[in-house]
Amino acid sequence: MVASIANLLKPWTPRLCAVRWSRYNPYYLEPETDKDVYKIPDTELSPEQKEEKELKTTRPIKAAATSITSSPFNDPVISKFINMMMQDGNKVLAREIMTQTLETIKRKQVEKYHRAPAAEKEAIECNPYTIFQQAIENCKPVIGLASIQKGGKNYQVPIPLKDSRRRFLAMKWMITECRENKHRRTHMYEKLSQELLSAFTNEGNVIKRKHDLHKMAEANRAYAHYRWW
Amino acid sequence: MNLPRLYHRLRLTARSLHSSANGQQVEKVAVAVDPDVPSQVSVFRTSENDPTCHTELHAGQYYTLPPAHMRTLFPHGLPPRFQMQMKTFNEACVMVRQPALELITCLRKADYSEPALRYVLYGEKGCGKTLSLCHVLHFCSTQGWLVLHIPDAHLWVKNCRELLPSSSRPGRFDQPIQALNWLKNFKTTNEHFLSKIKTTQRYVWTKRESTEEGRPLGELVDQGVSRVKSSSDVVGALLRELRLQAGGAAEGAFRLAVAVDGVNALWGKTTLKKEDKSEVLPEELTLIHNLRKMLRNDWCGGAILTTLSQTGSLFKPRSAYLPMELLGEEGFDNMDPFVPIPVSNYSDKEFESCYLYYLDRNWLQHPHSRTEDGKKELIFLSSRNPSILERLCAFL
Repeated sequence: MVASIANLLKPWTPRLCAVRWSRYNPYYLEPETDKDVYKIPDTELSPEQKEEKELKTTRPIKAAATSITSSPFNDPVISKFINMMMQDGNKVLAREIMTQTLETIKRKQVEKYHRAPAAEKEAIECNPYTIFQQAIENCKPVIGLASIQKGGKNYQVPIPLKDSRRRFLAMKWMITECRENKHRRTHMYEKLSQELLSAFTNEGNVIKRKHDLHKMAEANRAYAHYRWW
Repeated sequence: MNLPRLYHRLRLTARSLHSSANGQQVEKVAVAVDPDVPSQVSVFRTSENDPTCHTELHAGQYYTLPPAHMRTLFPHGLPPRFQMQMKTFNEACVMVRQPALELITCLRKADYSEPALRYVLYGEKGCGKTLSLCHVLHFCSTQGWLVLHIPDAHLWVKNCRELLPSSSRPGRFDQPIQALNWLKNFKTTNEHFLSKIKTTQRYVWTKRESTEEGRPLGELVDQGVSRVKSSSDVVGALLRELRLQAGGAAEGAFRLAVAVDGVNALWGKTTLKKEDKSEVLPEELTLIHNLRKMLRNDWCGGAILTTLSQTGSLFKPRSAYLPMELLGEEGFDNMDPFVPIPVSNYSDKEFESCYLYYLDRNWLQHPHSRTEDGKKELIFLSSRNPSILERLCAFL
């Protein structure tokens, strides 16, 4: 413990080649990839932003990951979903599937839009990004279950969930549903687009799974006081 | 007295008197001229749907292919991504571009009593060669030509499940399925010609089947469609008949447009193997052999429109796009002399037109892609290549 504190206090020296690793020294700060932040002139910065900028002049910054860009097309939710879909480090394939999914969703919606009469055109949502965000939002559980051991028995106790955990569960359910419960010969992007479109309208197996979790939590209300945090 | 100035002022007053008298007429003429001349504001669509009337004025604008004739015009000619786009947008819009206009002008001015001219559309991958060819074929069919369209010659030299030894010649191989599909599509495109053209020779298929001289071409095609084993030979006979009868002086004369997409397949390598695992050369395939005879410029009364394609080609690097690289020595010698027509990436005006078309069809959904910065980013990412732009905009 003394050694780790001493490590923090030793002077930082730059490496020969920068490397992006998850185990950075906590001294390092996260990079700012949004271009608009750098366009704000010094006079309009709020006091916290000024402080942050001061700090960045003295502290080292982590290297930016290769999967993020400074373009407004970059979406952190989509990047997280791609990382969760990735198998054996094949990011190229995972990204390809994601872009094909977005394209399929857009094609289906735009086709519906062009064939619909003028009155219904306003109601059809064609943006695949809003559909994806809304579908994941609809799949997020509000409350979760934890297994707590009391008196030799294990009880499923309803607990509040952190936002990151909720998003993780929604994405995980979506991916496992598409991998396991659909017909073997359909492509992943086809399965994903169908499931996302039904989740957008609050139908489908993933929404059902979320509701089942809520019902279980409701049924185990009595054990809620077993939670001590 | 300053005579020149006085003279000048006299002329000015005379002109103003003249113009005020004709004021009414001038306005009318201005109104009449405006719809024909495209305004400075970018216009991406044109209402001129007849390729016969397309001129430089329409360059960079989209025209709609008539949905009623789509099935007969292009049963098999359009690229798959374009077909998906047609289904999504509920319409088929093609951009009028410089290479296609040039080819149409050449076809209009050509002398059809001379041997057929060969045109080769070449360019980098994804810059619009196949769609330019489809535009020109639309023009040919509106002019009443007989269109012989081979959508992709590469499909005939690879992935063939059934390779039968030829029934008529000992060293050749037949491809029944490919020949059958092509004959069916040919029948759909050229229905009205099938009853008018007659055969000039007796063809014997088997001991019991033959097509007599003077029978309509439709019978020949039906023979190929019903008897799959002899379909490749039927294709050869069909090509021979059309070659002999195109551009005759008779009243039933027609002009023949031979369109081959991916012509470099005819002189490249194949991936097909014989039973003893040795490679099949392209000239040992009946379909390829007969098509090569068609591409020789020893017949009159038509034109040969071809496209080079690296996309389906075998054993050629992705960066190859010039005729010499893709056709090889043998192909170039066979195709020489030809009229090369380069197809390039979108110009500024064409890119603008494409962008506006996608906006109009509600295809660009991401809010950033609709801004100026987003447009610049799209130009940078696609470097104005039509197919890369289409794939980018698909998921944005």
